[in-house]
Amino acid sequence: MEYQNIFTQIQVRGPLEAGIPLPRGNDERTGKPFFNWLAGWFGNAQIGPIYLGFLGTASLLCGTVWFVITGFNMLASVGWDPIQFIRQLFWVALEPPPAKYGLSPFVPLSEGGWYLIASLFLLASVLLWWVRVYTRARQLELGTHVAWAFAAAIWLFLVLGLFRPILMGSWAEAVPYGIFPHLDWTAALSIRYGNLYYNPFHCLSIVFLYGSVLLFAMHGATILAVTRYGGERELEQITDRGTASERAALFWRWTMGFNATMESVHRWAWWFAVLTPITGGIGILLTGTVVDNWYLWGIKHGIVAPTPIPEAWGTVVDPALGGSGQ
Amino acid sequence: MKLWVPFAVGGVVLFSAAMIFRTDWDLPPVDSEQIGYRGTGMYLTKDREKENELRIANEVPEAPWDPDPSGPKAGEIYENVQVLGDLSDDQFNQFMASITEWVSPEQGCAYCHNEENFALDDVYTKVVSRRMIQMNQAINEDWKAHVANVGVTCYTCHRGQPVPKNVWWFDNEPKPAGGDLGYRAGQNVVGEFVGRTSMPQNALALYLLGDQEIRVHSDTALPTGDNPATTKETEATWALMMHMSESLGANCTTCHNSRAFNEWDQSPPQRVTAWHGIRMSRALNNDYMVGLTPVFPENRLGPEGDVFKVGCSTCHNGVQKPLYGVSMLQDYMDALSEKTSTGVPDYTTYQPGVTETLAPAETPGDTSSLKTKDDEQTRLVLAE
Amino acid sequence: MALLSFERKYRVRGGTLIGGDLFDFWIGPFYLGFFGMTTIFFATLGTALILYGAALGPTWNIWRISIDPPDLSYGLGLAPLADGGLWQIITVCAIGAFCSWALREVEICRKLGIGYHVPFAFGVAIFAYVTLVVIRPFLLGAWGHGFPYGIFSHLDWVSNVGYQYLHFHYNPAHMLAVTFFFTTTLALSLHGGLILSAANPGNTEEFPPKKAEVKVPEYEDTFFRDTIGYSIGTLGIHRLGLVLALNAGFWSAVCIVLSGPFWNQGWPQWWSWWLDLPIWS
Repeated sequence: MEYQNIFTQIQVRGPLEAGIPLPRGNDERTGKPFFNWLAGWFGNAQIGPIYLGFLGTASLLCGTVWFVITGFNMLASVGWDPIQFIRQLFWVALEPPPAKYGLSPFVPLSEGGWYLIASLFLLASVLLWWVRVYTRARQLELGTHVAWAFAAAIWLFLVLGLFRPILMGSWAEAVPYGIFPHLDWTAALSIRYGNLYYNPFHCLSIVFLYGSVLLFAMHGATILAVTRYGGERELEQITDRGTASERAALFWRWTMGFNATMESVHRWAWWFAVLTPITGGIGILLTGTVVDNWYLWGIKHGIVAPTPIPEAWGTVVDPALGGSGQ
Repeated sequence: MKLWVPFAVGGVVLFSAAMIFRTDWDLPPVDSEQIGYRGTGMYLTKDREKENELRIANEVPEAPWDPDPSGPKAGEIYENVQVLGDLSDDQFNQFMASITEWVSPEQGCAYCHNEENFALDDVYTKVVSRRMIQMNQAINEDWKAHVANVGVTCYTCHRGQPVPKNVWWFDNEPKPAGGDLGYRAGQNVVGEFVGRTSMPQNALALYLLGDQEIRVHSDTALPTGDNPATTKETEATWALMMHMSESLGANCTTCHNSRAFNEWDQSPPQRVTAWHGIRMSRALNNDYMVGLTPVFPENRLGPEGDVFKVGCSTCHNGVQKPLYGVSMLQDYMDALSEKTSTGVPDYTTYQPGVTETLAPAETPGDTSSLKTKDDEQTRLVLAE
Repeated sequence: MALLSFERKYRVRGGTLIGGDLFDFWIGPFYLGFFGMTTIFFATLGTALILYGAALGPTWNIWRISIDPPDLSYGLGLAPLADGGLWQIITVCAIGAFCSWALREVEICRKLGIGYHVPFAFGVAIFAYVTLVVIRPFLLGAWGHGFPYGIFSHLDWVSNVGYQYLHFHYNPAHMLAVTFFFTTTLALSLHGGLILSAANPGNTEEFPPKKAEVKVPEYEDTFFRDTIGYSIGTLGIHRLGLVLALNAGFWSAVCIVLSGPFWNQGWPQWWSWWLDLPIWS
């Protein structure tokens, strides 16, 4: 079995790349680039430089403020005990305010006000970063596909933290910033609203999520398989089809009767990836606002199969209806 | 300097070793039990070694002897027998011998009795025991919907320990800093009573002491505006369910088809039993445990000064039917199968070492003691 | 028919693993090969049995059809067709078809002189499937632990099996798998977007603006260095994507095979090893 090109055997070190010159009005790029052997083993060895500019700096600052507010609230939530902070790091969180404050912007700091402040900074950070991604693409005369893909993710983020809480009338509906707490929230949301698996937009989102992984496995593997013919220089293969592109296409044509082209496979990829948060966001936005119990919604629309009940169960009746007990 | 490399490698190795060797892994083969229709995924899998350990831990002790029910009554022979006076002398002594084995096998009679005069109430544990015997009788008579005819005895919970191993109390540890930073809504730390999740750490107080609505689902597909429950209440309900599942060595599918947690007609019948169990625990805590708070010394109270309370694990001890459904009660029917005295003394007047007799006031009938106090405590916890 | 303009020169004999020249031909765009034959056999039989199972069942509603595994009482034995036997044969057919497909991909790779990355990646997916319906049921001692073949019925199964372990989100392997799923999708959107944006550039800075020239890979590197300080490169992104995607599948398999054979408590309790480390007090 010949070499399959899963890592770089010999790292060639040319001069460091400064990058495509930027048009007038841009700042200087920051940082002196350098080589890293480990990075070069897998991908490009060169790290840096970065273009920070106003947007990047502002975004990072806002993100840092969010991070610090979250971190210090976590630390205070275990009584400033650094040992418990580390021990319970996956358990602690910055919690949104309780439902009683509704959508009030004036929540006491001691009851979730920090969550609103931190969220504001996170929002600013994310939006600034989006503008930066857009601007960087335009300054290089590139299309803005990456920025719009990022916008799809921002849509889901806004649904979770802004749109749905507003429609539900309370900041308490937002997601806590913490490892296990956000997982608790996710699962509890599904339970409260009658099983998100019966939410068709959740179904679609999962299909696109798994589909994205499938596509990247297929695409990544295909390109690696034809790297011996220079297949990884995709832009050149798009504009000037070579044997790598032909073999990659024929592999799929012979396997499943259909093939994408070197360019169109990236359209498939972009749409699958982008539709994951778009459909997911729709599914979340409908939950609690338009649909209160997805299982019953499924019954209504005929997608739920009645499950056979084991005979030994007999007829199980809600004891609260009988008036016994309590 | 690349000094960090060996440190990093060492850290990773130690970390992995801890993850592998300090975790309570099982190994196949395991036993599995089918709960629902095939293919629904409603199964219970159990590790064989742990099942064996549980079987050993849940063996039922024999009654010390078969007592003679005839002869003069204990109430006529002994002084200050308030609850068990109708037992024969032999039954009474047999029960006292059993209770010693069940609750204080090492400490013996002196754990509850002043050895110079067994009739005195000056040892606080005797006052508690008497109330617990009343509780035991009430469970067997009033809560057949949960305990059926199998019933319970002191041993169901105590297992040879003065304090049952599995009890709960108000848990606010580690306490938040207070002030403007560190709001955590009573959750987001390791909840020791809620399966070590980060869900509300005092969820048991909401449902097994207070009577917050457990049900969070809507009965209609579309919103009607009638259901105020949010994701937060759902987490609290789930936290209670965590406790129930772990108490019984069961899982969610023991009582639910998780595709529709709320639907009764596709739930296993165990859910009805469990429903009564929740009400029973709530009643026991309110009617029996909370009222006893003033009697207990500080070292027998939780860190917040509250009495130890009953949860599902208190009786179940990791088994779906406590003691695998063996009825110890059958040997103690006269002592424990029905309520013989429901009077409640004023526990606030109790002074250990001083009070000689603590008897109920002459107006019997009120079995629920000091209900208001517990509500206050619940409110306090919820305000955290 | 259906031949691409450049296809004829690639349609050469050889590269088969088995069967020599016997099955070495194409049907329309499809390559057959010996493993194409076996794929057709398993896929046809399996599909027919699914249809038969659906006919035995109560509904033709596509969302409700379910081919259920046998009761646990059959253990690792065979069940009657209508009581899960169909599920067992369909499972054999599925594994047969998947493996045939992978081996057919190997033959196509050999014929085209390209690497074996795709069949290997597919092998990881097959491994995840086999873990669900063979390895884990075998370790638990009953085929009944496999998942039912139905659109919503398999979701019910996922839900219930998750709640067997009280809170599946605390399963560390599940956490890893989900992270890999999301990261793969993130990376895919970045890669797809980057290639599209370079192949379909925006306008120039001039006035009046005109369409800029299609870009070369050096622009890819510059864009990512400008935005995040590192560009993994044209080759690296495909390695990264493949590794991320395969990890998503692999850890999914790990997270379910741990649940039951190696772990029978609520998953939150798993973290006790960390919470109870002796270093905290």
